[in-house]
Amino acid sequence: MTRWGMVVHLQKCVGCYSCVISCKQEHYLPPEVFWNRILISETGKYPTVMKQMYPVLCGHCKEPACVKACPTGATSQREDGIVMVNYDECVGCRYCLIACPYQQRTYYADGNREYFPGQGLTELEKIGKELYPLQPGTVVKCNFCLERVDEGIKQGLRPGVDREATPACVIACPAKARYFGDLEEPQSEICQLIKERRAFQLHPEFGTDPSVFYIV
Amino acid sequence: MKPYEWMVKFTPQTEWIEQRGLLVWLAEVSGGLGGGLYLVSLYLDSLWGMFVSWSIVVALKGGFHLAYLGKPLRFWRMVLKPQNSWMSRGLIIVFLFIGFGALQLITSYLFPGTAWELLFKGLAGITAFGTAMYPGFAMNYVNGIPFWNSALLPILFIVYGILDGFGIVIAIALSGGDVNIAAAEVGSRIFLIISAIILGIYLWSATYVGQAGKYSVKELLRGSVAPVLWLGVVLCGIAIPIVIVISSSFVGGMSAPLLIGGIMCDMIGGLSLKYCLLKGGIYAPLIPSTTY
Repeated sequence: MTRWGMVVHLQKCVGCYSCVISCKQEHYLPPEVFWNRILISETGKYPTVMKQMYPVLCGHCKEPACVKACPTGATSQREDGIVMVNYDECVGCRYCLIACPYQQRTYYADGNREYFPGQGLTELEKIGKELYPLQPGTVVKCNFCLERVDEGIKQGLRPGVDREATPACVIACPAKARYFGDLEEPQSEICQLIKERRAFQLHPEFGTDPSVFYIV
Repeated sequence: MKPYEWMVKFTPQTEWIEQRGLLVWLAEVSGGLGGGLYLVSLYLDSLWGMFVSWSIVVALKGGFHLAYLGKPLRFWRMVLKPQNSWMSRGLIIVFLFIGFGALQLITSYLFPGTAWELLFKGLAGITAFGTAMYPGFAMNYVNGIPFWNSALLPILFIVYGILDGFGIVIAIALSGGDVNIAAAEVGSRIFLIISAIILGIYLWSATYVGQAGKYSVKELLRGSVAPVLWLGVVLCGIAIPIVIVISSSFVGGMSAPLLIGGIMCDMIGGLSLKYCLLKGGIYAPLIPSTTY
């Protein structure tokens, strides 16, 4: 059984936002909707101040709180662990959004928002509305680029190894800080990294067992 | 808030209390009020009270929830996952209450004293209890908000629902309804004390569920929500009604204006409490304090 996962190397991340932008491009995400974020925090006091950059995205948890919260079944988990939203079934109650302890879901409220207010939709936005029609009034989230993964597998490619079958944020990262692969395959690169580099998950105490790991 | 600041510090939930989220607050208040009022009306055998509570749940709770949904026409889908979701269970309970409540009102009006009336009263009473209580379970499920992870939350919802129910029942009595006002006053006093005690224990215990829980309580006691807690919940919801109760016991009865004042304060207390509970929902920062 496959379980897709990701490892993020925190010391390699330079905070360039390539992942954020590539994700937006890949899914034609409207303004104010982020499926990938880079969180920046400063800790300590002068002169020992430390700046931390954390790329975060949906953890596609093994025990997803959002799936259990969803009253309609619009949020579901595939056999390969990817948690996805069926926009045709979502009622927009936002219980999943509240239930996600990582707050990686966004309510897509306004379908008419433009990147350049008052100047109409750009060509890219128009194309996006046709190719990737998100429904206003529903909740949206990262889907681990399941279109790329599925299409790649159909073509006999290996997600995490072949570019065409790997999530956009992973291939866009210029510092190669992100790794994608099968968590159930002990020989995969991400399994090796998790084992050797003592990877950790964010807030394991929530018991959701996210598929996104971090190493330093 | 900039995108890179998201969840870096303690982050309050906004979806269920700000902008359109205020509809959730109103729905929770009306659900508690409707369910609580039905239970009180059953206890006092007030058909008017039952009718008002049923109307509140149908029109207000149902209306506010529907208005909040992003896709209201698909609301029927929300009953599809009762095995997982508290939202689904809650909606089913509310639908059952509406159905059993309607049957009970019809049988009480047309065939009073029959076994059918008794049966539907029982079924509607059970579902009214669920209607008032389920938001507590739905919020309690949210792992990311420690302030809500308390077994006392559903109890707090039902106790405040019944307290508000007593307030409305007294109002019905003052308008000439079929209610024993003395019994309603006694019940109101008892539930006023119980709710104050449970609220105190709830806030105190929330400080022991991690940093985020402590932060929530701090925000409620001293932060931006503090005026609502102190003026709405404590002063209007607890202190003034207690003063009214104590003074009336010395005088030997309550005047109608004083009762109406008490009811108003009671309602403000209920509204403020739900507001504070929703506003107090705060997520812990995503980023560990130091990693590398």
